[in-house]
Amino acid sequence: MSEAKKVLVADDSEAVTTLLVTALEMAGYEVTIAKNGNDAYEMGKTGSFDLALLDHLMPGLLGIEVIARWQADGYEIPVIMLSGVDDERTIVDSLDLGAVDFVRKPFRLPELMARIRQRLRD
Amino acid sequence: MNGTQIALLAVGIVFTVDAVLLLGLITLKAVHRQRMESHDQRRSAFLGVLSRRVSFPLHTDYIDPKVVNDGAFLDAVIDLRNTMAGPEIETLAGIIDRYGLVKQQAARLRSRFPLGRRLRAAVVLAEMGDESSAPVLIEFLDDREPEVRIQCARGLGRMHHTPAIDAIIERFGQESPWVRSRFADTLVGFGAGAVWSLLAYVRVNHDHDEGNEAVIEAIRILGIIGERDVGPALIDLLHRFRDPELKIAAIDALGYIGGPMAVTPLIGFLDADDWRIRNKAAHSLGEIGDPLANDALRRGLEDANWWVRRSSAAALAGLSEGLEVLHQALHSGDLFARDAAAEALADCGELGRAREREEQGQATDADRQLLGFMTEGALVP
Repeated sequence: MSEAKKVLVADDSEAVTTLLVTALEMAGYEVTIAKNGNDAYEMGKTGSFDLALLDHLMPGLLGIEVIARWQADGYEIPVIMLSGVDDERTIVDSLDLGAVDFVRKPFRLPELMARIRQRLRD
Repeated sequence: MNGTQIALLAVGIVFTVDAVLLLGLITLKAVHRQRMESHDQRRSAFLGVLSRRVSFPLHTDYIDPKVVNDGAFLDAVIDLRNTMAGPEIETLAGIIDRYGLVKQQAARLRSRFPLGRRLRAAVVLAEMGDESSAPVLIEFLDDREPEVRIQCARGLGRMHHTPAIDAIIERFGQESPWVRSRFADTLVGFGAGAVWSLLAYVRVNHDHDEGNEAVIEAIRILGIIGERDVGPALIDLLHRFRDPELKIAAIDALGYIGGPMAVTPLIGFLDADDWRIRNKAAHSLGEIGDPLANDALRRGLEDANWWVRRSSAAALAGLSEGLEVLHQALHSGDLFARDAAAEALADCGELGRAREREEQGQATDADRQLLGFMTEGALVP
């Protein structure tokens, strides 16, 4: 049996983390939660995640700052950015910095799950 | 008892009362903290149950019907509702319906007291955004409490319940300025669905004797919604308005709405008698960003009014080829035009960039002219 894929969910909204953790665990993934950008950055440095779902606006480091720091430190974790901020600049900056996808909040759960499955298949 | 004993007794009583009050306060805070912690724990548990239901609709986690009286359950429903989009909201709507959350909150709204409970019910209904609550929210648009009315309008906006738009707009003329402004803001939630009703309101009510504050509010919301289709109709109205405040509001809205159709009419308003109208026209032309306005804004740099010169220069700084116009204006025979151009070039960062290029030995003629102009102290004091 293959090992469960590991996903890091970083968001300061409990509703978002609870919903995502529930859906991801029921789909067979192993999930870790970070409540802020600093924790997400530190957890990512363990190098054990197959995918990270990062909120853009979090306490501490912003989502794009977490990506930038991981890259500077040599950690290549595929990131799907989640954000309630809808401006083009945030989307472009996130993708330019290396995020593999950008999903607006509020999100459609089945669509987000499909994007996650696709990324974890790659 | 002598005087000293009486004084000591009084001090003792004061200390005792203070100590009792302090103890009471500490106890109350501890109880409150405990209640909040318990609330948060229950909310987390409910979020888990609801998330399982939403993620897998066939999931059979039992939810005790009594939870509808628990504020933590309501908070969990609202939090989850604001997290999700799409058809999955229907699952949550099913839970809201099955447990009678809308009916329960409507009953609280209908009770006369206490106000806090009624207000909380209005906020819950607005936040849940469940379509089944629309009739209740419309009913309470006339509530005696302004905040309840505002929350009801907000809820209707959140659910895009377009039949309520006219009822909300009708209240414009009956509300105080502060309430009207918040009422108007709720229409932004309807988006393009609200613009034709707003436009009709403006068309019917402008330049009446009672004042134009409500109409100005409607025009402001048209600008925020920014639906381009209303541009021609708003331009038509702009030419009919008599009150300069209405003209200013419409010109401002056209700046937000944008589009090339507004450029020529706005250029025309750069020649208005009222400097406030000329100023707003310059500002809106900058917002639209069409270089067709360059020449007109260049003339605006020589306007008799400082604000118009400043707005014209700021608008040019954001336009394609506008920086070139501002650089050329540094050679103007009009000292005030030169001043406005230099200030705008400094504000938009062009001065800083010119300094950097000079330090790197890459300064252009335009950079040297700007730096020379600034260092010679030619700005009008």
